[in-house]
Amino acid sequence: MTISRRNLLLGGAAVAAVAALGGAFLLNGGEALASVENGAQAPAFSVQDASGATRTLAEFRGRTVVLEWTNDGCPYVRKHYDAGNMQTIQREATADGIVWLQVISSAPGEQGHLDGAGARARVQTDNAAPTATLLDPTGVMGQAYGARTTPHMYIIDPQGVLRYQGAIDDRPSARPASLEGATNYVRAALADLAAGRAVQTASTVPYGCGVKYA
Amino acid sequence: MIRAFFFAVAALFAATLSPAFAQAPGVLNVDGSLHSARAAVAPGETFTIVLRQNIREGWHTYWRNPGDSGEATELTWQAPAGFEIGGIQWPTPEAVPFATLVNFGYHGDVLFPIEVTAPANARPGDVANFTADAYWLVCSDICIPEETTLTFSVPIAAVGRDDPEWGPRIAEAVANLPRPQAGVDARISAGDPARLSVTLSNAADIRNVRFFSYDRDLLLASAPQRPRVGAAGVSFDISGGVAENVGQAPVQGVVAYQVRDGANWIWRGVEIEAQPGEPLADTDGAPAPISDNYALAGLEGSGSAVAVAPPMDAAGILLALGLAFLGGLILNIMPCVLPVLSVKALSFAGGAHSAETRTHGLFYFAGVMATFLALAGLLIALRGAGEAVGWGFQLQAPWVTSLLALLFFAIGLNLLGVFEIGGSLQNAGGTLTQRSGNAGSFFTGALAVIAATPCTAPFMAGAIGVAITQSPLITLLIFSALALGFALPLTLLHFAPALQRLIPKPGAWMDRAKQVLAFPMFVAAVWLVWVLAEQAGANGVLSLLLLATALGFLLLAARWGRAWLIAGALALAVTGTFTWRPLVGVQSETVLASEAWSDDRVAELRGEGRGVFVNFTAAWCVTCKVNELAALSSPRVAQAFAEANVAYLKGDWTNRDDTIAAALAEYGRAGVPLYLYFPPEGEAVVLPQVLTESIVIDTISGAQT
Repeated sequence: MTISRRNLLLGGAAVAAVAALGGAFLLNGGEALASVENGAQAPAFSVQDASGATRTLAEFRGRTVVLEWTNDGCPYVRKHYDAGNMQTIQREATADGIVWLQVISSAPGEQGHLDGAGARARVQTDNAAPTATLLDPTGVMGQAYGARTTPHMYIIDPQGVLRYQGAIDDRPSARPASLEGATNYVRAALADLAAGRAVQTASTVPYGCGVKYA
Repeated sequence: MIRAFFFAVAALFAATLSPAFAQAPGVLNVDGSLHSARAAVAPGETFTIVLRQNIREGWHTYWRNPGDSGEATELTWQAPAGFEIGGIQWPTPEAVPFATLVNFGYHGDVLFPIEVTAPANARPGDVANFTADAYWLVCSDICIPEETTLTFSVPIAAVGRDDPEWGPRIAEAVANLPRPQAGVDARISAGDPARLSVTLSNAADIRNVRFFSYDRDLLLASAPQRPRVGAAGVSFDISGGVAENVGQAPVQGVVAYQVRDGANWIWRGVEIEAQPGEPLADTDGAPAPISDNYALAGLEGSGSAVAVAPPMDAAGILLALGLAFLGGLILNIMPCVLPVLSVKALSFAGGAHSAETRTHGLFYFAGVMATFLALAGLLIALRGAGEAVGWGFQLQAPWVTSLLALLFFAIGLNLLGVFEIGGSLQNAGGTLTQRSGNAGSFFTGALAVIAATPCTAPFMAGAIGVAITQSPLITLLIFSALALGFALPLTLLHFAPALQRLIPKPGAWMDRAKQVLAFPMFVAAVWLVWVLAEQAGANGVLSLLLLATALGFLLLAARWGRAWLIAGALALAVTGTFTWRPLVGVQSETVLASEAWSDDRVAELRGEGRGVFVNFTAAWCVTCKVNELAALSSPRVAQAFAEANVAYLKGDWTNRDDTIAAALAEYGRAGVPLYLYFPPEGEAVVLPQVLTESIVIDTISGAQT
C-alpha cells in the first residue's frame, strides 16, 4: 500500500496553515493599559508650558514634582479654586521648593482647553501659584500617566519615582461645603516624603470630571 | 427563532433612538420631583415615596458609586417631627462610557424609592409637609452640579390609601430594585486578576452582564470584566482598583444584566454580598453574550461572544442539524470541492480493490470528520479568544488565499501534463490521481474540507451562524452534521459496489478526463484570485499572477534538466522577492523604512543629532498593527520623518525578548504597543497607545502645542 506523500503534504500543509493562523489569533491580547505604578519611574514628558517653553520631567530631577490635571470649567476643579483651597496647597508646596505643574489635557474645542495666553490669564484670575502650567492638547502626557479626572494628582520624588496618584482629598463632591474637614491626600503625601517616610496613602481613586481628551 | 432575535435587536435599537424625553425641563437638566405612593397615610405606617428624575436627553445622573468620575445624587431632608426618612434606594445602574472612562448612572425617567415611616402619634387630619434640598451632578460631555428644593405633602388619616397615579408606578419601581435573591451565592477569590463568581439560575438566558461594586476602590470602572457564563452562574475579573488584598474581605454590589421580556430585553439586577473563598463551581465557561448595542460592547466585546441568540429548543437544534447535513451534501458539488473529489473519484477508475477501498472510505470519512471537528474546535477557541470570526476565516489572510490559488493552479498544470511529480526529481509520491493509501485518503478528506470553507459562506451561513451563537456543544453537533453530509457520498462510493460499478473502466479516456478536470482547478484558482482582489487589491492580484507565471515556468522548465530547473527556481525566487509584500498584507506604499531597535543604536543616532522614533510592536498585537496601518504607513508620515531627519526603529516583541521586556518595564509597561520619541536632546516622549497621523507628525516635528 503506497501512501501518496503529495496528498499528505498538501493536506498537512493546509491543516498546518489553518492551525498557525488560529494560533496567531489566540496569541493576540497582550496590550497593556496605560497606567503607572507607584514606585516605578514616572513617564518622561516633554511638553510646552503656557509661556511657550518646553518643559521636561528631566529638568526637575532632584526636586519633588506635583502634577495636577486641571480643567477650569469643571465644577470639581472650581470647588478647589473658588474656595482658594488649591492655591493654598500650591503656595505651601512651592515655598518648600516643590515643583507644582498644572497640566491641561483638554483637546481643542473641549471644556477646559486653553492656549498659552488663556492659561496664563486663568492662573492670574485664580491667583494660582503653580511653577508652570503644561499644555497637553494632544493628551499624550495625560494618557501616558493614565490621568482620568480633573483634578487627578501625581507626586514624583526627586529620583523621578512616582510616589502618589489619585484624588486630591477624601471628599468626592463638587459641593464647596465638602471641603470642610476634608483630608488632603496630597498634603499628607508631601509631608510623608518630607519626613523621609513611605507615603501612607499612596493610591486613591481620583474624582471629578473626566479628562476631555481628543 | 433567528428572526425573533433580529426583531428583538431592532426593537431595542428603536427604543434607544426614540426621542422620548426631548423636552428641556427649564434651566435645569434634571426635572426633579417627589411623589408619595400613598394618597393618605395612617399613624405608624411605613410607606414609599420616590425622587423622580426626568433627565434631559443625552445627559445622565449617577449611581451610589459613580464610577470613574461623577457623583451620586444627595437629598437633605427637613421633615415634620417624628417622621423617619430612609436613604435613597438605587435602581439597577447602567454603564455610561465616556472616552476612556466608564461611569455608572441613569438616563431618561428614573424613580428612586425612599422609605418613610410616620410616627405612631401622628394626628389624623393633619398634613405632613416635607422639604428636601436636592443636589445632583448631571453630565453629558461636561458636568453641571444642580441644586434645587423639592417638596411633597401627604395627609394623615385613620386609614391610609394608595395614590391612584403614583401607587402602581412606585410599586413597580420598588419591585424592580436590585435585591438579594434566594439561591444566589457569590464568592470573591484573590488572584491576578481577582475573580468574582456568582450563582445565577438564569445564567444561560442573560446578556450584557456586569458587576457594579458599591465600593469605589475595589475595581477600576473602565477595566474590562471579561464576564463568563457557566452552567451554574457567571464570573467576572475584578481588576484595576486601589483596594489592597482583594479577596480577603466581603464585597458588595449589584450584578446587572439584560433578560428577555417578550420581544424586548430588559435590565435587571441582583444585589450580592460575596464572601472571600474559592470560586463557585460551574461559573466560568464561555464568554458571556454581549450585544452590539450594549454601551460597553467596545470594552467587553473583545473577549466575549459578539452575537446573541436565544437558547435553542430541541426542535430548533434538529432543524439546524438537518440544514447542516443538507448543506454538507450540497458542498460536494461546489466548485471549490468538486475538483478535489473528482480527482479522488477518478482514482477508483484506476482499479478498485473492494476491501482496501472500504478502508480508504473509512479513512476519508475520518479525515473529513476530524477536520470539521478541528475547525469547530478552532472556531470555539477563537470565539473564546474574542475574535469575531465568520466561516471562511482561514481565507482572510491574503497569503493563505494566494498559496491556495497557486496550489490549484499547479494541480491544474499537473493534470494537463505540464509537469509530473516523481521519478528522479524528488520522488515525492504519486499525484492526486494516483490511488492513495490510508493516510492519503485521510488527507484527501482534510484537504476537501479546507477547500470547502469558502463555499459555505452563502450556503451555510444560517446553520453556522446559529452554531457560532450557541454553546460549544451545539457548535460541535452542527459541525458534525455538516461533516456527515459532506463525507457521505464519497464514503458510500467506497462501500457500495453498485455505485462503484457506475464508475467507468480505465482507458484512454482517463487522460482526457484528467485534462478536463484541470479546468475546474483553474476555475477554483480564478475564484481565489477574485477573493484576493478583495483582500489585497490590484497590487495583490498583480503579485499573485506574476508568481503564478514564474511558478508555471519553473514547473515546465524543471523537466528539461537541472540547469533549467535552477533557472526556473531563480526566476521564481526573484519574482517572489519583488512581489511578496502585498500578499502578506504589507502595503507596498510603506515608505517609512525601519531599523531594528537597540539601546545602543538609539544613543548612536542621537549622538548624530537625530531624533529617534521607537515602535515596540509584535506580530500578534492587533493594536500595534492598526496603529502601524493608520498612523505610521502613510507617505505623509514618511515625509515628516524625512523632513525632521528622524530615524525609525522597531523593537519586535513577537517572540519574548528580555532586552525589549526590560525596555518596556523602564516605561512602566508590561506589553506592547509602546511608542517613544527621543528628541536629539532631552527626555523621551511617551506617545499614546492609540496613534493618529497627526500625533506622530506633531510629536516628531516638535509642534506639540
